[in-house]
Amino acid sequence: MAVDPATMLSFVRFLFAFTIGSHILLVSTSIALIFLISISEFLSIRRRDPTYEALARKLSKIFIISFGVGTASGIVMAVELVGLFPTFMTLVASTGAMVLLYAEISAFFLEVLALVLYVYYWNAFKGRYTHWVVSLFVAAGTVASAVFITMLNSWMNTPTGFDAATFVSSGFKTITEVQPFAAFLTASTANQVFHVLATTLFAGSMVIGAYFAYWYIKSRDGDEKAMYSRALKILGAMAMITIILSGISGSEQMGNLLVNQPLKYAALDGNAVPGTNLPDRFFGSIVGGAYVGGISVPGMQSLLARFETGLTNLPGLSQFPASTWPPLLVTTTFNLMTVGGLVLGLFLLVYFVSLIRRRRPYESRRMLYLWIPAAILGMLVYQLGWATDEVGRQPWIVYNIMTVAQAANTSDALLVPGIIIIIFYLAVIPATFYFYSRVFNGSKAREGIAA
Amino acid sequence: MNGIFEVNYAAFSVFAALLITEIMGAVVLLVAWPARSKVLDYLVPIWEVTGTFGAFWVVTGGFAYPALLVPVATIFTPLLIVFLILWVARGASIAFAEFITKRGWLDEARLFRAYAISTLVLGLVVLVLLSSLVGGQGVDLSSGSFSIFSWLTAGSLTFMLGTLFLAVGLAPVFFDLPSLKRLVLPLVGFGAGLSTFSYWLMSPDLLTVWMAVPIFLTLLAGALYLWPKTTRLVANKAVFLAVLAIVIFSLQSLVYPKAIGQALAIDSVTTVGAMADAFLSITAVGGLLLVVMLVLYMRVAAKGPSGPDFPRATAG
Repeated sequence: MAVDPATMLSFVRFLFAFTIGSHILLVSTSIALIFLISISEFLSIRRRDPTYEALARKLSKIFIISFGVGTASGIVMAVELVGLFPTFMTLVASTGAMVLLYAEISAFFLEVLALVLYVYYWNAFKGRYTHWVVSLFVAAGTVASAVFITMLNSWMNTPTGFDAATFVSSGFKTITEVQPFAAFLTASTANQVFHVLATTLFAGSMVIGAYFAYWYIKSRDGDEKAMYSRALKILGAMAMITIILSGISGSEQMGNLLVNQPLKYAALDGNAVPGTNLPDRFFGSIVGGAYVGGISVPGMQSLLARFETGLTNLPGLSQFPASTWPPLLVTTTFNLMTVGGLVLGLFLLVYFVSLIRRRRPYESRRMLYLWIPAAILGMLVYQLGWATDEVGRQPWIVYNIMTVAQAANTSDALLVPGIIIIIFYLAVIPATFYFYSRVFNGSKAREGIAA
Repeated sequence: MNGIFEVNYAAFSVFAALLITEIMGAVVLLVAWPARSKVLDYLVPIWEVTGTFGAFWVVTGGFAYPALLVPVATIFTPLLIVFLILWVARGASIAFAEFITKRGWLDEARLFRAYAISTLVLGLVVLVLLSSLVGGQGVDLSSGSFSIFSWLTAGSLTFMLGTLFLAVGLAPVFFDLPSLKRLVLPLVGFGAGLSTFSYWLMSPDLLTVWMAVPIFLTLLAGALYLWPKTTRLVANKAVFLAVLAIVIFSLQSLVYPKAIGQALAIDSVTTVGAMADAFLSITAVGGLLLVVMLVLYMRVAAKGPSGPDFPRATAG
């Protein structure tokens, strides 16, 4: 049975969104995990605390699993991109975007070789600090991989480094005036990298923290509780720092959109028409060219985007042809993300107050019970952030140059392999998190501490 | 000489050498489970590196031949899907196997066997892909498609068999299994003969004088293992991997200057201009980083694995 191209286009969009959404779960936990491992080992040396060392050793096994599944999943996505969006990938392969992928592979080598040394040759290092330094190399490789991939996404948002006019007018055939290294620093790169790193680390810290919170509440073993509370101490600090950075970088991101992607800005903030001193609006919708319903906070938009009051000219959807508007659902996803972020900020503020009042929030059952839903909300907000970024760029895959429809392969031959990949991910992701837990709890905490 | 081709082919040579040693290990895990400790001591640290070199080869390939990216992905879609699923299964099963404790039906032995089977099948898929890239078997360039039925020719089957004989014949050398010593030269000799014959079956043009280099080096590796004075040298993992990578690198005349059954001129599809310069400069920087990390790795690895809570030696 033949499937029409429009349906296949929707399927292709869904398939890639599903795959990358699943992959992100692994990536965010991996990045937070390597920070947690490195800080734990540092504290174990500094404070001569064997519990921190046992924690670092146990977590390093989890990191190996995360690395194994995460990199394999990354390769699936790379090949999927070629199969699903061939015209886009031809552009990538012929421009600086490819240089970013190549740089990412170099970072990957740093990560893998440092990781093998760090995990499998733990005791081969005479100096404990020398071994700890290797964890910094692993972290550098992990973070650099994420940075280069985010740079590629920034390039899709604000493409540069080739003659776009000639490329479009030639029907995507001719690519000239290529500047391979321009893709490293597009107009949106710095802001986006900052925001993605902060939010990824935040979401990962919350999710891993939820695991430890759950086991801390459940456990009756003193050694285990000591290990979990140490992990929660570090993760609490990471979450508090990164939520602040996420807020700052998020505001910077909006300022950047204002200049470089005004249409996306207008859609996110629900600006039907342009103006100055516009309110910040939540949970309404655009009907018949006007924003209706929801809550409005007068004058807030300029303040949040530019730290100015009322001066900035803010764009509106009416300035752009309706055919280039993204789905207006992004107004809602953006609102959910913002409000979710504020709720999380509030939770961590309470955590912080509890911390400075010496109430040990990392051992408070009430606070730990709250941490679990907060972590689910954190991951949801993080995924909504990516959805807002990607859907907000629609209909473009490369902003103002190539639409998703132009880039996609709508052959119905992709249907069966695509469904197989979805089923496969539905099995692999839960299995991976199950194994994380099984491996971490596979040995008693006191055995690790004694070793 | 095409420098970009050489870089991409060198990445492939290292990846293929690592994958072949993993396949050798997979065979030992499946047929000689009691001898697993020697195999796991090697496999457990190295499987991540194999994957990274695989990704490196694919990315350098996309960079080196941008015009081929989409046609190759389209032609080999079914093979790539199978490859990807096996790739994730391989990574997940060995990562789980390394650290799983014996609770319930899913234990280390089952997971390592799952890894071995997925790696072996993965190896077969890669061989199908490679035989097509060399001889063009199963590939219809005009319609941009691949047919497994058209691929089933004497040339491609002999290619598979020859490679498998070589892998099984060299496994006792690589994992230093003296009890299987007598099998080495007969299997390696037969495998080398079959492989050479397969190239001739695919296209007589593939048989050049350069073919003598890989044949000589392969037979030499087998012979040196039998000579007591050089047994330890050739069974050294780093030396063996280096020789294997050189053997594969010296087979480049199978795909250069023309590949896919002499139908595709490599030079005509290689990236040029600023992108070519960028490719070579990043390769230089990344290559330097890689060499530094590999030297550090070799120095530390020479002391042997030393994580007391990594239980592969007691597997199963």
